[in-house]
Amino acid sequence: MNSTLAHAPAAQLSGRHLLGIEGLAVPEIQSLLSRSSYFADVITGKTKDDGIADILRGISVVNLFFENSTRTRVSFEVAAKHLGASVLNLSVSGSSVKKGETLIDTAVTLNAMHPDILVVRHRHAGTPLLLSKHVDASVINAGDGRHEHPTQALLDALTIQRKCGQIAGLKIAICGDVANSRVARSNLYLLGALGADVHFVAPSTLLPACIEQFGVPVHTDLEAGIEGADIVMMLRLQTERMQGREIPSQHEYFNLFGLNADKLMRAAPNALVMHPGPMNRGVEIDSVIADDAEKSLIYTQVEMGVAARMACLEGLALKKSEAA
Amino acid sequence: MTNKLLFTNAHLICPEQGLDGNGWLATEGDKITAIGKGDNFSGADKNADLIDCKGDILAPGLVDMRVKSGDPGAEHLETLSSLKEAAAHGGITSFAILPSTEPVIDTAAMIDSLHLRASRIDGPSLYCYGAITKELEDDQMAELGMMAGAGARAFASGSLSVQNAQTMRRIMTYASMLDLPVIHHCEDKSLTEDGDMNEGETSTRLGMLGQPAAAETIILQRDIELAKLTGVHYHAAHISTAGAVAAIRKAKTEGVRITADTAPPYFMLNELAVSSYDAACKLNPPLRTEADRLALLEGLQDGTIDAIASDHVPVNPDMKMQPFTQASTGASGIELLLCMTLRLVRTGTLSLSRAFALISRNPAQILKLEAGTLKPGMPANLVRINPNMSWIIEGRAFKSLSRITPFEGQPAEGKVTGLWIGGAPVARDK
Repeated sequence: MNSTLAHAPAAQLSGRHLLGIEGLAVPEIQSLLSRSSYFADVITGKTKDDGIADILRGISVVNLFFENSTRTRVSFEVAAKHLGASVLNLSVSGSSVKKGETLIDTAVTLNAMHPDILVVRHRHAGTPLLLSKHVDASVINAGDGRHEHPTQALLDALTIQRKCGQIAGLKIAICGDVANSRVARSNLYLLGALGADVHFVAPSTLLPACIEQFGVPVHTDLEAGIEGADIVMMLRLQTERMQGREIPSQHEYFNLFGLNADKLMRAAPNALVMHPGPMNRGVEIDSVIADDAEKSLIYTQVEMGVAARMACLEGLALKKSEAA
Repeated sequence: MTNKLLFTNAHLICPEQGLDGNGWLATEGDKITAIGKGDNFSGADKNADLIDCKGDILAPGLVDMRVKSGDPGAEHLETLSSLKEAAAHGGITSFAILPSTEPVIDTAAMIDSLHLRASRIDGPSLYCYGAITKELEDDQMAELGMMAGAGARAFASGSLSVQNAQTMRRIMTYASMLDLPVIHHCEDKSLTEDGDMNEGETSTRLGMLGQPAAAETIILQRDIELAKLTGVHYHAAHISTAGAVAAIRKAKTEGVRITADTAPPYFMLNELAVSSYDAACKLNPPLRTEADRLALLEGLQDGTIDAIASDHVPVNPDMKMQPFTQASTGASGIELLLCMTLRLVRTGTLSLSRAFALISRNPAQILKLEAGTLKPGMPANLVRINPNMSWIIEGRAFKSLSRITPFEGQPAEGKVTGLWIGGAPVARDK
């Protein structure tokens, strides 16, 4: 066991909200990762710390999900409960908002109940930021449209760091529907800030505008893009966010951009495969790879998600109590 | 009390007569009767009421050629009274409203009704555009001839962009028979569907779908070809891209009957204004890149762009306090046309004379209005401006019922210190 990690203190955040990776300083990211790693040791039984169940005692966390999600919502809920917080889950479907109550009405109503932390997911970019201007709670962005998904990037980095030791110097290929992916954007900022050599691979119709200006090498050939990669991160084809017709067919997509054992041979010998889930098996990833316990980190990612979210919740609660 | 006025010690601006300097101006009844340089007005009528302008600018009142009215249909956003009051507050003496009201201004009866209702309210003159198509749907031509008879100054499309080239060709052919301009919003809808802002690095960073600049130029280029084919006077509204400026410049050298306007947000701001998802900056067309903004400034300087319009769109907080994607487009602008244009004078981009050509003479000429000039014999529609008075733009101080502006909190210079319509002073509070 790593003794320095065992003593990692609560993450130090400069802002009251966690709205994106863009804008976080490297020391903030590192303190979140160190603390996440400690929590990962605790929840996997490597370290014993009964005290964590009191860390967020008396803190209320509201999961405000305007877009369907099971895994992220449950992950935040488990994380909050590990730390002793009380959790309220609110699923607000798009249609009930259309009935007349505006987003701001919802936020102001919720605010009157004085939650400490609001975890927000919305199908439109910028919504967590908008909400943060109308509530007293700290806001965590749990995914906003095609914009950011900061806790996913943190859990991905945590997964890589714990598996590979360090992130700096690794070649990480992020492959698939980059245009519609908030995970791709958050990971580019975070892994890039920590010194990884990040590459994007996507069909040209699924690349966002001017992506080359972000300083990331872009490939439209999967095998060339993952050449020598230490980590191959496959993205979900966001059919629900797509405008339709960006690709000829899922059949062709799997042929050209789906990851299978053959194509994975082009990556580094011990390359590891990641996916933020939920997977479209046979579309972006072959089941054989997804279920290969040697190569796939997909279930580790889920496990690390809880730890990363614990660190975020704690860091924001601490920041809020300092401000009070 | 006479009905004669003599303005002295004025900084006269009249692009049409090449005036830009100290002088005097006399009116009688609703007309300008005499004008002269310097302070030798001994020939003027001794019985006139004297108005010492103390060196302020005296210019033809502004002509705003792109204004959306909330009335009829959305009077909670803007009424004809609030619109007229706001226009007067902004130094505007004539403005033309878009047909995009509810119901749409697509019949002579609608135009008659608006003219009648507007005539009962004091203040700036309201003119109407007739809708190019029925209900502003991309299909059947509206009754252009009867609307021309009712006084439509041009045919316009609001935010509709006609996608079918044959429909557009017929509209242009028919309008050319009536000798009225066709004012069009250029947007290829198949490229802008679901786009919330300009497409580029910023849209990618913000995680929003974009509208490429090509969506504007594709329709504009098509329309230029159709303008050649039909001979119509074609006017491109609120152009926002460098590509549009280049296309219009080229068309003008080829002799195409084309004019164009842009609006202050497009030459004062770029897409970075959207960076914090500020819905006040959500406009249609969207704010573009810095390169586009600079190209627009060049177009304003070299005459490629003929007019600056406010592109006033009434909106309220309910329509804007939304996730950016769900927020409405548009912003209040009618009270900022003057100060934003004067900012270009302050920065040395435009001469005062060029500025008033853009916000007064040219739009008056495009719409064939008796306005935009200080020539004797013309209506005495005058604005007096202290160009050095500075203030802070605050939506809540607007006379318009619509108080959302992308320029909130910005400093402005130049204030209207007097307004006369048909020789009569317009009451304005400070």
